[in-house]
This record gives sequence, C-alpha cells and structure tokens, in this order.
Amino acid sequence: MSADEDNKEQVLKECEQAEEIMKDKQNQKLISEITKENIQLKEEIKKLEAELQETTRTSQINEDIPETKIKFTSVENPESDSEFSDISYSCQVSSKVPYELQKGQALITFEKEEVAQNVIRMEYHHVQVQNENVMLTANPVSLNSGVKFQVHVGVSKMKINVTDIPDELPESQMRDKLELSFSKSRNGGGEVEYVEYNKQTRSALITFVESGVADKILKMKDYPLYINQNCHRVTVYPYTETHLKKFQVFSGVSKRTVLLTGLKHLQTTDEEVVEDFISIHFQREKNGGGEVEVVKCSLGQPHTAYFEE
Amino acid sequence: MDSADVCPALKVHLLPTGSQTMSQALQALQEEQARLKMRLQELQRNLRDCPQDKVPFPVPESPLVFRGHFEEGKAMAKSVVSHVRICYPLPGGSALVTFDDPNVAKQVLQQKEHQINVEGFRLRVQVQPLELPMLTTIQVSSQMNDQRVLVSGFPAGLKLSEEELLDKLEIFFGKTKNGGGDVEMRELLQGGVMLGFTEDRVAQHLCQMGQFMVPLGKQQSCLRVSPYMSGKIQKAEVRPQPVPQSVLVLNIPDVLDGPELQDVLEIHFQKPTRGGGEVEAVTVVPPGQRGLAVFTSKSG
Repeated sequence: MSADEDNKEQVLKECEQAEEIMKDKQNQKLISEITKENIQLKEEIKKLEAELQETTRTSQINEDIPETKIKFTSVENPESDSEFSDISYSCQVSSKVPYELQKGQALITFEKEEVAQNVIRMEYHHVQVQNENVMLTANPVSLNSGVKFQVHVGVSKMKINVTDIPDELPESQMRDKLELSFSKSRNGGGEVEYVEYNKQTRSALITFVESGVADKILKMKDYPLYINQNCHRVTVYPYTETHLKKFQVFSGVSKRTVLLTGLKHLQTTDEEVVEDFISIHFQREKNGGGEVEVVKCSLGQPHTAYFEE
Repeated sequence: MDSADVCPALKVHLLPTGSQTMSQALQALQEEQARLKMRLQELQRNLRDCPQDKVPFPVPESPLVFRGHFEEGKAMAKSVVSHVRICYPLPGGSALVTFDDPNVAKQVLQQKEHQINVEGFRLRVQVQPLELPMLTTIQVSSQMNDQRVLVSGFPAGLKLSEEELLDKLEIFFGKTKNGGGDVEMRELLQGGVMLGFTEDRVAQHLCQMGQFMVPLGKQQSCLRVSPYMSGKIQKAEVRPQPVPQSVLVLNIPDVLDGPELQDVLEIHFQKPTRGGGEVEAVTVVPPGQRGLAVFTSKSG
C-alpha cells in the first residue's frame, strides 16, 4: 500500500514539477516580451522628448533683458486711487523669428516692398560676383510663427513680503508681534492695515495703510522684529504682481526680404565680398532692384537670421 | 531554458530557480511598462498642446523684416523688448527734478538736505536718488487654451470703437443659438479678438463651426473662429534700476503754491554754487495732491 502511496506522491510531485516548469517557461516568455516592449517605449519617449524640446524652442520666450535707458517724459493725474498704490511697469515683447540660412543662400532686404516683389517676380538674376557669373534664384522667405504680448508688473508701495520669521510663537501671537514691529515709525515702519502670516513657510505679507511705507522699508534688506526681549532681523522684499496682456501668436510674413539661392559653388569664400557684389547688383533699377538695406549670405556654414517687426 | 537566449538586460531579473522570483520579476516589468506608457501619453499630450514652429491653425499675419541680426549656430528663441513705460506715484509735497547732465544730479545728491532760500525764509527739503523697477528676465511659454478662441477676418474700415466691437462680439457669441455660451473674458488683439468662455465645449464647438455671419453695425460680416494659444509666465524678474538724470525732492513744506514752488525749485537747482546745473524738467506735486510721473524708454 505504501508503495502505492509512494507512487502517487511521486506522480504528484512530478506533475507539480512539470507545472512549475510550464509556468516558468510562460513567465520567461512574457518577461522577454515585456522587456522588449519596454525598451521600445523608452526609445519612443526619448524621441518625443527631443521633439518636444525642438518645437517649443521657438514658441517660448526666454530673454535676459539688458539695461534700457529710461527718462522722465510727463506727469499724469489719474482719478482712481488704485494707480497710486503701485509703481507700474509695462513693456512689449515680440519674438524675433529665426530663419536658418543654408550654405549657398543669401537674404536681401529692400527698402521698398514693391522692389522685393519685383525681384521675386523676375525669379532669375544673373549676377557678377568677382570674376564669376552666377545665376541666383529669388524666392519669398517662408517664416515660422512667433508670439507677442505685453508684460505688466505692479510693485506695491503698500505691501511687502517678509521671510525668515523665526518659528517661536503660536500663529496669532506672531501676527501681533509682526504688526507691532512693522508699525514702529522709528524703524521706518508705518500703520499696518493687515498681516497675513504663514507659520509653515515662516513668511508674511504686510499691508500698510499709507502708500509709500513699503518703499522706505525696502531700502534696507532686513527689518527688526521684536519678540519678547530679543530682536530678530527678518528679510523684506517687494510684493509684485506680474501678468500678460494681449498675448498673440502670429505667423511671420516677409514682405521686404527676399531669399536668394545659387551661391553654393562659388569660388569666393569671403562672405563680405559676395555680399557687396550682390548689394551693388540689386541696387540698380535696371537689374530690377532698388534701395538695399541689408544683405547677408551663408557660404562656409549655415547661419541663423532673425526676423523682427 | 538558457538565460543566454533572453535579452542580456534581463540577466539581472532572471534567476535559475524559483517561479516565485520569476513572477516577482514579471510584476516589476509590468509596473515599469505602465509607468513608461503613462510618460509616453504625457509627452504626446504635451506635444499636441505645444505649438509647432508653424501652428496648425490660422493665426494673424505680422510683417517681419531681416535687419541684419545674424548668428552662427542653431536657431534660438530670441525676442525684442520695447515700449517700456513706468508710472511712478509722487506723494504730496514732493517734486521730480530732471537734469540735462547726470553728473549734475550726482552732485546734487551729495547733500541729503537742501536749504532753498525764498524771499527771506528757508525751505528745508530732502533729496533722494530715484530707482525704478525694470524687468530683467522674462520666460513665457505658450499652450493651447481650451476655453478661448480667436475671432478674425474683420473687414477693413470698420467704424466701430474698441468697446463697441467687443460688445457686439460678446453679444453674438454669448448666445447659445449662435453656438456660443457665457463669455468670461474678451480682449482686442492686433489680428483679431480673443474671447474666453466659461465652458470648454463652447470654444471647441465654435472652432468646429469655423465661420459665422456676425452683424457689425450696418452689415453682416463673415468672421472666422479659430483656436487660441495663451501665454503663461514661467519666470519674471524685476530689479531696481537708477534713473541717473532725475532726483526726487521730498518733504516740501506747504508754504508756496504750485507754480511758485516750481519756479523756486528750478532756480535753486540751476545754481552751480549749489551743485546744480541745467534743469530739463521740474514736476511739482503740492501737499495734499498726488501725481503720477511717467518714464519711458528712449528707443521704441
């Protein structure tokens, strides 16, 4: 009997083992499939990430603005109170649309639109460049889109941001201490209208009753906050609100600038020399041209030209 | 079952024994795949939302010129900043004095307090340099806005004021019978009008319909509605910049009236003996009043 049982057990074990082997085989197959799929997915992701970087390149604005000279021009007397609570700044920002000029291409900007259109209409132009005679083809420039908008910034004369507030007191007590310290005129403060305090971030927004108190305080980088017997220096910085207006995507259209092609096999490699010859040729009315503003060509390597309003 | 016939990357997962470890490995891989798929979808969505170099829907044209800005290398995002305008509130009892020569302003500022002689008495005032906030860095990204549309195709010579035009459009596109809905915002742009709706589907529906006959004054005009891309500020930094030619005069006592005060200040600050010089402009805000001094950029 026990031999039978032994046999049964043996068979069972073998069955189980066979099942396990089957399962392992299946799992292994799945694992290899999924691994392959994952590798493919990773490649696709990489491709899209690169593509995303490329396409957002020209629709994003990322500009460090150099110092612009500003001068007093006039004085106004607006009716509303709100215009006196902020120093307001506004400006216009507009994309310079890039155009990649390939080797052997040139851009020429005419003073008059009709001249540019005429040069395009004539299409083929025989131009003398040093000792060579080249045939240039004139075409319109196909431009990408850009964006333009206004930036409005209001720097408050009545509110200031405060940070680095020590976390020593419960919320409502700290609020009181802030109000007391910031109303001390001997320290540059003034009557406080409202205190917003965030214990977690250790920061606050203080609104004063009078316009101008904020400026005074902001002349210093920090301000004395009195807590019981101690004086802490808290950091102060301006409260600003920034927003965009009149945001618009536009499609660039070149009316006065023409694309010239046909310079690839030129012997001359000096771009300036070639530009001079092209300019001289297209200044002449008998060549279908007119007053020329700018000529730029790419001979040795491609360049990027920027189109602006 | 040789581990060699599976991808080498799998060696770390594959153990020679134990189907338990194998199913764990399988699970880990399936989880990774789910994560990768989510990331892929996110990127595909971003790519769809992000504007391409040439946007796939109509946008107004803007004439551009090549003025010679030429650089080596690949195209980068570049922009022009112009029409800088700053409004600076002047408190009562203050004045803004602008000199021709910034060096004169510097000299005047060497003394914090000035005593101005007027007909036998002295006016004590304070002088301070002027600093104005200037935008030094701006980063803006564009994205499709599902609640907004651009209305374009306005006929030339339309005799409507901005307000009238915006009102008529808001009335027309505010009606559900026209395919519209509640208008939340409106803005006149160079190439058209932007309308923002409280519900997404209204904007989408209008874009699908595409063209509308809208009464604008005496006639009906055929206008086009297309998707709108809005901008979002990613970063904006403002730094104080000195105004070298101007000086703020503060705490002017209330003894003279406006025009007289203006003359007195001008005379005082022109005197070379006081460190003064040629004065370009004097703006006075008498006590009890307020004024807004406007500064603009020299070019643009």
